[in-house]
Amino acid sequence: MKDKKHPVIVVGSGAGGAMAAYVLTQAGHRVLMLEAGRDYDPKTETPMFKTNGEAPLMGAGNVDKDFGFYDATVDGGWSVPGEPYTTGEGSDFLWWRARMLGGRTNHWGRYSLRFSEHDFKGKSRDGLGADWPIEYSDLAPWYDKTEYLVGVCGTNTGLDDMPDSSDGVLQPPPKPRVPELLIAAAAKKLGIPTAPMHRAVLTRAKDDRQACFYATPCGRGCSIGAAFQTTTSLIPMAKATGNLEVVTDAMVKNVTVDQHGKVTGVCYVDKKTKTETCLTANVVILAASACESARIMLNSKSKHHPSGLANSSGQLGRNIMDSTGTGLGAYIPALAGRPRYNEDGHTANHLFIPWWGHKAQEKGELDFPRGYHFEIGSGFGQPGSGVSSGLQGYGKALKQQVRDKYGSSVYLSLRGEMLPNEHCYMEIDDNVKDKWGIPVAKFHWKWSKHELNQVAHGLKTAKEILETMGATFDYPLPSAEKAILKGGQIIHEVGATRMGDSPKDSVTNQWGQTWDCDNLFVMDAGVFASNPHKNCTLTIMTLAMRNATWLSEQMNKGAL
Amino acid sequence: MTSKYQVKLSRRESLKWVGALSASTLIPNSVSALTIAAEKNTGKGHWPKLTLSPINAKGYGKDPNLLIPPKSPWPKTLTAEQLTLVAVLADIIVPREGTVPSGSEVGVPDVVDEWVSAPYTRQQHDRLTILSALTWIDDEAQLRFEQSFVNLTEQKRLQIIDDIAFEREDNDNAFMRIIPAFARFRSLVLAAFYSSPAGMKDIGYMGNVPIMGDYPGPTEEAMTHLAQVVKQLGLSL
Repeated sequence: MKDKKHPVIVVGSGAGGAMAAYVLTQAGHRVLMLEAGRDYDPKTETPMFKTNGEAPLMGAGNVDKDFGFYDATVDGGWSVPGEPYTTGEGSDFLWWRARMLGGRTNHWGRYSLRFSEHDFKGKSRDGLGADWPIEYSDLAPWYDKTEYLVGVCGTNTGLDDMPDSSDGVLQPPPKPRVPELLIAAAAKKLGIPTAPMHRAVLTRAKDDRQACFYATPCGRGCSIGAAFQTTTSLIPMAKATGNLEVVTDAMVKNVTVDQHGKVTGVCYVDKKTKTETCLTANVVILAASACESARIMLNSKSKHHPSGLANSSGQLGRNIMDSTGTGLGAYIPALAGRPRYNEDGHTANHLFIPWWGHKAQEKGELDFPRGYHFEIGSGFGQPGSGVSSGLQGYGKALKQQVRDKYGSSVYLSLRGEMLPNEHCYMEIDDNVKDKWGIPVAKFHWKWSKHELNQVAHGLKTAKEILETMGATFDYPLPSAEKAILKGGQIIHEVGATRMGDSPKDSVTNQWGQTWDCDNLFVMDAGVFASNPHKNCTLTIMTLAMRNATWLSEQMNKGAL
Repeated sequence: MTSKYQVKLSRRESLKWVGALSASTLIPNSVSALTIAAEKNTGKGHWPKLTLSPINAKGYGKDPNLLIPPKSPWPKTLTAEQLTLVAVLADIIVPREGTVPSGSEVGVPDVVDEWVSAPYTRQQHDRLTILSALTWIDDEAQLRFEQSFVNLTEQKRLQIIDDIAFEREDNDNAFMRIIPAFARFRSLVLAAFYSSPAGMKDIGYMGNVPIMGDYPGPTEEAMTHLAQVVKQLGLSL
């Protein structure tokens, strides 16, 4: 492995890296994939059907397992032992890292919403942020291919926030459940539409992946392959070509260049032996996650790249955007004691509220430029550590309260588009290294009025929807400053290596190829020019499929 | 006289593990003597000042076995007396109803023990709250009836619980601290009960079973109920 030149090295095995490896290996190119975390097999490791009661602390989350005992993420989360990051003064930023084969795709929400022309050309419309160097029409056929390969359930709604898929692409969505139907009725009264959520969950079997059997939370991973994760799909498919080699526990430190500044390969630390290895490659694809890829590039300084690799624009590490997040929940008296049935479904939203405000924004009726959506939390979930609080008394009367309240609360989670601003960026902290000897990332963060106004509008709207369902609020809404979740907390961070039309203000071109180094590509969410409210993963995979296809053509032509 | 609570086989031990009763390490807590504040003669307003030995155990780490969860991830710390008191309280909070078992019957005290003994921030915070509540309840029993709580008659036990189990506008100031502390304990007991198989059945959780074919959606009964709700609220589906 050490003494040969690899045609392609891919760093990262999540949405972008696995898709790039899948496309390239299918096309006959040999790929070496480096993953910083351990090998991981959902077929044998997923705790399907295990109950909360069987887990320590009834499955409650903590610093070891942030999203609960059974969450698929291992060796990662909000903190990674020995791998700190720092923040600038007055900045709050949370950086979720998955250190495992498949990355965050093992536990993600599987929400898969297409960006639209509206999303790609925001700056043309309102002068804010940046346009993408592509049109929706450039990506539409690739969305079709990606949705079909991944397996996405949902419908074509015809709503302006939800572009249609081609016929035969989407799989049928599951029937909505009682709380979702009640929210839909309340939202309808306010003129707000609801729609079946698009999710990367198979409702029909595909290749060797089974259809969903509507049990066990997807966040634990899915041993039957119904809920999409690269470890049960793209990675095994790429391996089956015979062209993929995967090395786990390989923490990439930097990208190497020759005396002309041309990329020659990567160096990584083998976590097991704590030794450093450098490999040569014809092409390097970074897909380590937006901020990790930028960190690698910032840590790859050389004579030709004094401020970090492929950073002639000065935009490397800038333009970081997360989704905005907040939420509001309430007890709905009319749902108390409702008839029981199995409400697990595919264990996430069957219905959601897409952004309905395009026209109002066009007319200048809203004081924020970009949209959001609501995800719905509700249902007869499996009881766990938080099953009941705020109750009174004891004994049979208390138990009756628990039974009455069960499944009678709903929660609306806002996820919104953020605009890039000069205060949200990352750099390298020269004073701190991780346990592998690699300088760490330092984050800076500040929300702008665009996000705060959006969140205030969302809270007000959520309250109206809940009140329409019969909820009462005996407390005032919190201020947007208090209610908005921290930067990074929604785990949709994008933009650190954004794509654009010009090498002056972007790091890569529309193909994810860095302007400064033609054999260095970025294929994670770092390339996003904006961050629509629609959960990044589907678009990460779609761009990776399109751009790895283009790369394959370039290699076949001998251009790379 | 209440019988001593016997530590249950952890619910976590699937049948193939039966027989391996986990020997939990008991670390006696150094509980300070009863501290009676201001109104000495009535005992009102007392609150125990506990000096707890720190929990230095390790957590289960970032990569625990999820299929066979660790049975005793850290040493348990409740004493036999504390466990018995928790069992008595758990059965006041969740009494047996017909064939539905009580809190102690499904092993609630073991779950509480695991919770307060865990080396994580939230649990450490709860530990002080819950141990203070347990101590207060025994102190109160001594002050009112000169006996420990578990040795009281049902009627006397409920006299105390009735004072601390409700958040009322006119609550006596003497119960300002025990009411929220007891509420936290109650939530934990309910969680432990309802996440047990018997509790899940009692609450009416019907999920976690595989379905062949499409998800059937709500039952006819559930849809009829929804239709009524929608009508009541002046909405339409």
